[in-house]
Amino acid sequence: MPPWQDFEPFIVSGLALGGVYALSGVGLVVLYRATGVLYLAFGAVGALGALIAWSLATKAGAPGWAGWLACVAVAGAVTLGYGLLFGPALARRDPLIKAVATIGLTLILYGAMDLLWTTSGGQARSLALPTDNGGFTVASIQVTWTQVIALAAGVVLTAGTGTFLRFTKLGTAMRAMANDRDITATLGVPVRKVEAAAWLGCGVLAGIAGLLLADLVALDATTLTFLVISSLAAVLIARLRSITVTFVAAIVIGLLHDLLTPITSLSNYRDMTPFVIAAIALLVLSRHQVMTQSREEA
Amino acid sequence: MRATLERASPARTARRPTRPQLIRAVITAVLLLFVLFALPQLMSLYYVDTMTQVAVYSMVTLALGLLVGRVGLFSLGQAAVLAIGAWAAARLLFATTQPYPLVLLEAGLITMVAGLLIGLPALRLRGLYLALITLMLAGAITVVLATVNFPNGGHGFTGYNGSLLHIPPIRRPSIAASDPAYFRYSVVVAILMFALVYAHIKTKPGRAWAAIRQSEPAALAAGINIWFYKLWAFALASFITGVAGGVLAGAIHYLYSINFPTQDSITLLAVTLMGGVYSLWGAVVAALLYQFLPALLNNWGVSADWLIILFGLGVLQVLTTAPAGLADQVPRDLARLGRFLRGRLGRRPAPAGTPGGTPGGDPA
Repeated sequence: MPPWQDFEPFIVSGLALGGVYALSGVGLVVLYRATGVLYLAFGAVGALGALIAWSLATKAGAPGWAGWLACVAVAGAVTLGYGLLFGPALARRDPLIKAVATIGLTLILYGAMDLLWTTSGGQARSLALPTDNGGFTVASIQVTWTQVIALAAGVVLTAGTGTFLRFTKLGTAMRAMANDRDITATLGVPVRKVEAAAWLGCGVLAGIAGLLLADLVALDATTLTFLVISSLAAVLIARLRSITVTFVAAIVIGLLHDLLTPITSLSNYRDMTPFVIAAIALLVLSRHQVMTQSREEA
Repeated sequence: MRATLERASPARTARRPTRPQLIRAVITAVLLLFVLFALPQLMSLYYVDTMTQVAVYSMVTLALGLLVGRVGLFSLGQAAVLAIGAWAAARLLFATTQPYPLVLLEAGLITMVAGLLIGLPALRLRGLYLALITLMLAGAITVVLATVNFPNGGHGFTGYNGSLLHIPPIRRPSIAASDPAYFRYSVVVAILMFALVYAHIKTKPGRAWAAIRQSEPAALAAGINIWFYKLWAFALASFITGVAGGVLAGAIHYLYSINFPTQDSITLLAVTLMGGVYSLWGAVVAALLYQFLPALLNNWGVSADWLIILFGLGVLQVLTTAPAGLADQVPRDLARLGRFLRGRLGRRPAPAGTPGGTPGGDPA
C-alpha cells in the first residue's frame, strides 16, 4: 500500500471526474424521465462538440470562448434534432428500443468523427482550457480551476436540476410525463414541447461534459464516446430515477477510479470501477421484482 | 439442409413440405455446396480470409440474433463473450495436443459456463437493465483481458509471456492448415451451429422462447419456466459464441486484446439488427455486413468509417420502419419489384411469386 501522500492528488482529480460524471448522469436521468429515452449518444455528442471546439481554436484561430460556445451549441443542436426526428416515431416503443436507437446515432457520429478527425496518423490532440493554468493549493495538493469547475458544475447542476424539476412549470410537466405521457397530454401539457426542452437540456449538458472531459481526460473520439458508460453506471445505480443518488454514485465512481491509480496491483483494473460498482449495485437492488411493469410494457 | 427440414416438420402432422419450402431447401443446399467447393477456388487469398471471418462472425451474429429475436434479450457484450471463447481455445491449443474439434467443443463449454455465471444473476434483470448490465460486464471483461493478455505460448495459467521474442502461431487442425481448407472447416462448423439453433427453434425451446418474447406473464401463465428457458438461451448463445471464438483463434493465428474492444459489441448488435433477427439468414447477412463489406471497401480504398455511419443509419431504419431487417426486407422488395415489372411488361395478372423472390425458382 503506497503512503497517503501518493493518494492526495488523486482525491482532487477523482472529485473532478466524479463531478463531470454527475452532471452527465443528471442530464441522462432528466431526459430519461421526460421522454423514456436513455441517451447512449451522450458521450459521442460531447466528443463531437469538443472536436469542433478544437478545430475552431487550432485551425480557424477563433478565440477560445467561441469554440466552447460552438461545442455546447452543436451538442445541443444534434441532440435536439435527433429528439425531434426520432422521438415521436419511437415514443410508444419499449425503453430498450429507444435506447438501442440512440446507439444508431452514436455510430453515425462516431464514424463521422473518425472520418473528419482521423487518428490514424497517431497525432494526439488536446484541448486545454485556460483554467488549467491558474489554481491554488490545499494542504499541499495542487488544484486547478478546471477541476474546481468540474466538481462545481456537478454540484450546481444537480442542485439546480432538482430545484428546476420541483418548482418550475416546465419541471413539473417533465415529472408528470415521467409518470404518464398520455395522461399528461390529456391534461393539456404540450408534450412535444416539453420533450424538446428535455432534449435540448440534455444536449447542452453533453456539450459541457464533453468540453470538461476533453480537458480532464483526453480529446479523443473513442475515449469520449465510451466514457459515457461510466456515467451510465451512476445512472443505473440510481435506477434511472433519483438525481441525488446519481450524483453520489458518480462522485464515488470518479473518486474510486482515481484512488486506485497509485496502487500498482490494482492500477490496471481501475477502469473496471464503474462496471463493477454498477453490476454489484444492480444485482443487489434487483432482488425484489414484480412481474409486470405496467408503464414499461404498455 | 433438406434433411434437417424434413426432420423438423413433425411426423405427427404427416404433412409433406410445401413447394416453396422445397425450393428454399434446394436453393440452400446448392448455395452451401457452392460456398464449400467452388468459392475458395474463385477468390483470392484476401477474400478467402475475409470469408473465413464471415463464417466466424455469422456464428456470433447467429447467437446474438437468437437472444434478441427469439427471446427478446438484448446483449451489448457479445464481443467480450467471443473474446472469452478465443482465449479459452488459444489456451487449450497451446497447452494440449487435443484434436481441434475437441478444443472447439471445450472452448464452447467453457464460454457457456462463463455465460451462465454472468447470466444467472443478470437474468433477474429485464429489458433495458439487462442490456446495460451486459455492456458493463463486457467493459469489465475487456479491461481484464487487456491486463491478462491472450495466451502467446507462455506458461502458467494465463499462458502469456511478455518477453517472448518468437511468438508461435495458434495452430490449426492438420486437415485444414491452408487458408482455403480452413475456410471450408469454418463453414462446416458454422453449418453445425446453424443446425443446432434450427433444431432448437423448431422444437420445444423455440416455442417457449417465442412465448416469452411475446409476453412474460402470459408465458408464465402457460406454465413455461421463464427463468430456465432464458438461461438456456443464454447458455446456447454463449456456447455458439465460444465455438466461434475457437475458430477465430485458428483463423488469425495471433490474438491481442486490442482486437476485442467494447465498441465491437455495439457494432455487432447494430449489424445483427440490420441483418434481421427473425431469420437465420439474417445472421449471414449481418456477418457479411460486418466482415465482408469492410474488406471490400478496404480494397477500394474507401474508409471503413463510412460503414460505421451506414450501420448507424441502418439501426435507426430497422427500429423505425423495418423490424425484421435486411433478410426480410430485401426479398420482399425484390418480389414486389418482380410483380411490378411483370405487371408492367406482360400486362398479365401477376402471380403470387416465390416467397423470398430469390432467383432460381423457375415456375415452368
